[in-house]
Amino acid sequence: MTTSAPTPTAPTPATTSALQDFFELDALYTSEERLIRDSVREFVRGEILPEIGEWWQEGRFPADLPQKFGALGMLGVTIPEEYGGAGASATAYGLLNREIEYGDSGMRSFVSVQSSLVMYPIFAYGREALKREWLPRLASAEAIGCFGLTEPDAGSDPGNMRTRCRRVGDEWVLNGVKRWITSGSTAHVAVVWARDESEGTVRGFLVETDAGGFSALDIKTKASMRASVTSELYLDDVIVPEASRLEVQGLRGPLSCLNQARYGIAWGVLGAGFACLEEAAAYVEDRPVFGMPLAGKQLVQASLADMFSDLTKGSLLAYHLGRLKEQGKDTPARVSMAKRDNVRAALRAARAARDLLGGNGITTEYGAIRHMLNLETVSTYEGTDTVHTLVLGREITGHNAF
Amino acid sequence: MKIVTILKQVPDAEARVRSKDGTLDLSGATFVIDGMDEYGVEEALRIREGGADAEIVALAFGPKRTAEAIRTALAMGVDRAVHVLGDEPLDALATARVLAPLVRDEGADLVFVGGKQADWDSAALGPALAEALGWPHSDWTTSLTLGDGALEVIHDVDDGSETLTLPLPAVVTTQQGLNEPRYPTLPNIMKAKRKTLDTRALDEVAAAAGVSATSTTELRSAVIESRARRNVMIEGDAASAAAELVRRLRDEAKVL
Repeated sequence: MTTSAPTPTAPTPATTSALQDFFELDALYTSEERLIRDSVREFVRGEILPEIGEWWQEGRFPADLPQKFGALGMLGVTIPEEYGGAGASATAYGLLNREIEYGDSGMRSFVSVQSSLVMYPIFAYGREALKREWLPRLASAEAIGCFGLTEPDAGSDPGNMRTRCRRVGDEWVLNGVKRWITSGSTAHVAVVWARDESEGTVRGFLVETDAGGFSALDIKTKASMRASVTSELYLDDVIVPEASRLEVQGLRGPLSCLNQARYGIAWGVLGAGFACLEEAAAYVEDRPVFGMPLAGKQLVQASLADMFSDLTKGSLLAYHLGRLKEQGKDTPARVSMAKRDNVRAALRAARAARDLLGGNGITTEYGAIRHMLNLETVSTYEGTDTVHTLVLGREITGHNAF
Repeated sequence: MKIVTILKQVPDAEARVRSKDGTLDLSGATFVIDGMDEYGVEEALRIREGGADAEIVALAFGPKRTAEAIRTALAMGVDRAVHVLGDEPLDALATARVLAPLVRDEGADLVFVGGKQADWDSAALGPALAEALGWPHSDWTTSLTLGDGALEVIHDVDDGSETLTLPLPAVVTTQQGLNEPRYPTLPNIMKAKRKTLDTRALDEVAAAAGVSATSTTELRSAVIESRARRNVMIEGDAASAAAELVRRLRDEAKVL
């Protein structure tokens, strides 16, 4: 006695690239952008995907990874060649984020922080000597950087930061605590934001982490971003030379860095989302239920269709935002919309994929639950979903409702 | 010295290629540099990095999209490239006839060709090019040492391997294991944009060299072999299901 699936010939599921490029954006990238995308994709397939489940399970970010990123030239790709970057476009940076987050959001976080939150402020606000000293070393990952803005009691409201700086002759003295700092304990330099005790304005500094009074402790209890270093920084009378002060004042400084990183996240999460869609699409084809593949069931298809639509629309948004950014039109509100909506799309896709994988979906043998849990962090950091919602609300109404 | 690496652009191994009415539908496929050509590029780069004063030139025949494969080689570190532009495919013999005069004009000492051509799996281009040039050739090459005016190679044969010495100029076709090709670095991808890619029309190249750019073989039809899953579930208790499975494996699948 046998039963057969109702379809007599094997269905032909869409290929990986067909799923990821349903609206033919590929043709709109430059050949350099495509090559960068492909090179990073190969790297992620070869160096990250085979190991990431284990790293995540062990709560480990391998110490030799930054040098591998650096050797490929993945750090600070938009920084000009003369400072060790690749001089690539914003779209290329976006594609890079997308490919690496296809591997893991924690891997992408490292690249985001090094590129957008450390190299960018040094490039944009650092004095020439500071750029020459640090940018090439950060590009090769000879030096690792972190970004200290958030504090235990100042997250969405960075203006309430308690970290202080005061000028003493040709030096500055910094005191305070920073929390939720990616790469904090492994960093050689920290971009630290502190309020000037006498003038009240927010200032930025490049702090060498071997300076006296600087220490870092890792946050070990994460159920998300487990393959990423997250730390707390303590600054206790840390002395920083005036030459290491960034030439920008007020919250404009840190917020301009966040605008770069959030842009990268709007692209990056699509990688995690598509990884989940591809995994779920392959799984439901192989897994039988009631005598046929899960893929032949209407509710399963509805779930896949939602993921597919969400991520495809997110891809169009990211692409266009990239081209706007290349013209200097990446306004914070546009970046907020892309970050908020694409993270939502990826998180929904990851949750749906986790569900479609049934019992297998709760194990780290598959990527869905790892991406799902990682994306909870991505939804929270770099502007919470709520903050971006209020930015958009203000854009529409003109009222500040924070 | 001058090293020429021959490149071919082929569908990505993961691409889904369909055949219909005797022709291939490549519209959904992504194209990449042939993996075995990459071994040749990598080996050329390693020869230079090993201290040889070498210029490395990539040479490719194919349609416009082939330029992307060439850009990959330039990004890996090749110095410049020549692209012979032709929209219709040529067989290995015709391709070799067209490329051989260009290799000679370059004054090449050493030519790398991918061991197989992943699209047609012919493994014929390297030998055909060596024949057209009248140069010695090592196929399925897994190891290579450059000496003074000569090359020592180890290459696979049916029952093991052989070590050969070839006088230069020579043609070497690659085998898996020759090396591990590098990823093009992102700064080098950007720098490759400034390297010279000289595009020449097939007809002009053939006319200038006085060779025929016509394939000897004619492609009549192409079919992709496909295996459809049947998704058959055998029901019943364990004993009768096992008996039915054995019967199907023996009588239908004929694997027992």
